[in-house]
Amino acid sequence: MRAYRALARATARSALTYRLNLLLGLGTVFVQLVALLAVWRVILAQSSVNGFTWPQMRVYLLVAFAAGTVVSAFGDFRMAFRILDGDVALDLVKPVDYQKARFAETIGGLWIEVLLIGVVVGVTLAVTGGVRTPAGPALALFVVSMLLLVPLKFLIVYGSTLLCFWTQNFIGVQWARLAVMNLLSGALIPLAYLPGWLATVAQWSPFAGLTSTPALIFLGRVDVRHGLTLVAVQLGWVLLLWFGARLMWRAGLRRLTVNGG
Amino acid sequence: MPIVEARALTKVFRRPDKGPGLAGSVKHLFARRFQDKVAVDHIDLSIEAGEAVAYVGPNGAGKSTTVKLLSGILVPTEGEVRIDGLHPQRDRMTVAHRIGVLFGQRTQLWWDLPVRESLAVLRDLYGVDHATYRKRLARFDEVLELGEILPVIGRKLSLGQRMRADLAAALIHGPRVVYLDEPTIGLDLAVKDRVREFFRSIRDEGTTVMLTSHDLADIEGFCRRLVIIDEGRIIFDGDLEAVKDRFARERILHVETARPVPLETLRASLPGAQVTVEESEVRYAVRFDRFIMTAGQAVTALAGLTDLVDFRVDEPSIEDVIRRVYSGELVLDETGPRR
Repeated sequence: MRAYRALARATARSALTYRLNLLLGLGTVFVQLVALLAVWRVILAQSSVNGFTWPQMRVYLLVAFAAGTVVSAFGDFRMAFRILDGDVALDLVKPVDYQKARFAETIGGLWIEVLLIGVVVGVTLAVTGGVRTPAGPALALFVVSMLLLVPLKFLIVYGSTLLCFWTQNFIGVQWARLAVMNLLSGALIPLAYLPGWLATVAQWSPFAGLTSTPALIFLGRVDVRHGLTLVAVQLGWVLLLWFGARLMWRAGLRRLTVNGG
Repeated sequence: MPIVEARALTKVFRRPDKGPGLAGSVKHLFARRFQDKVAVDHIDLSIEAGEAVAYVGPNGAGKSTTVKLLSGILVPTEGEVRIDGLHPQRDRMTVAHRIGVLFGQRTQLWWDLPVRESLAVLRDLYGVDHATYRKRLARFDEVLELGEILPVIGRKLSLGQRMRADLAAALIHGPRVVYLDEPTIGLDLAVKDRVREFFRSIRDEGTTVMLTSHDLADIEGFCRRLVIIDEGRIIFDGDLEAVKDRFARERILHVETARPVPLETLRASLPGAQVTVEESEVRYAVRFDRFIMTAGQAVTALAGLTDLVDFRVDEPSIEDVIRRVYSGELVLDETGPRR
């Protein structure tokens, strides 16, 4: 445990190095959020669409923002670069489990993301008015869902980054992941807006757990019983992906080519 | 039992075989053809605890690949490796505690953290207790002068500083076996000297060292055993001094005389040696085999002919020998002692 704590601490400290970067990033996501809010406000000004009213959509977007910010600073670029460049060789001679080590690093970076979410959501709520938090059980379920989101998102990012062992390229992998993730998680638009069959596929995919599940629970658009099912799906995917990623890693190692020094 | 053992160790890389230009790349998309490149070809190697082994070979000979196989980074295509009797992939965690690896061209420091923090993370990764950690750090500091670089952020280190910090990073857990892959690449002479002194200190403490280097000065006076690899095969494995005795027997005596002496006279007094005139007519070079004649005998013979102003003896270095092996001039395999 001491080893993984040390890794988490190292990332937590490294994150501070990029204060300016982070500040710029904060500006960018804030502008994006404001733009989305403005667009939906116009769309939903007259009447609700697919059952979403403007106040609901506002909350949905805020939860989506929070969910989207968690585990976004995770060093997938760094990990991909280390695989492509061969620096992963040095990770392999450390007495730690590679997957757990990367997860520890993700946890280490969380604090700064949570801080960022706090600032942006706080400012938005201050400007546009408060939100009604759901009742006890639904709130508890929401918190569990947000907590599960951390390993789930980590595993999706981690697993797709492992593809670098095969593709020898990261940008394509990252773009593909982002496209699929944005659409099927409900980050772009709520899943209810998708064609029926696609909405069903999305709902059972691991991606729904990235945005849709916590947002719907928070909004009370699903009752606690249905919410429990959605959270169980999240948990199921976390377990499945955790072990799936291990198999991938093992297969990837066989493909590893490290050229030069 | 040897601490490092490799049997029939082989690594084959598969490279896409693309035709030239865009056409070749497009064609490759549809008809994928691959070419096998054998980087390491059935190597047998065993290293005893406490040995310092030099592992040399020309570029692309398979040196780095061997080191990566021996440290469990790459999975062998064929054959097997044992470190302290352990399987480097299956027992990765245990093996990691026993080996230290330094790749001169890569760093294991955290780029955004001061060196001190990086070393502290490694301390926790390896579970080194604080007292031992402080003791090791103090000892590294003696030779590597770490003090001044501990507060520096990783990415702000100069190459020499980075290498010193990386050496400390590779050894902070007190590994029993250390692989040093090009540890002095790009360093200036002063830093090289310090780093070499450090190597000697860890060797003297009983650490097993496998050193890969293009700078043969790293090897002389440090390694007793020499392993030469070429095209993925070990072409020589034996005693470094023995190689020198056998293949570096020639000595060159450079003399400066008070007056010119006819070459014939010199040659007549030095049978078995080759005498040539150097840049001026009072400077001569005498080449001889040190098993036929000693430098003292040569000087005495010359002093009997004329007054000597100055003289100096050149010894060939192991570098010369290895250079001749690379170029195919020397074939050690047939004559050199093999283990």
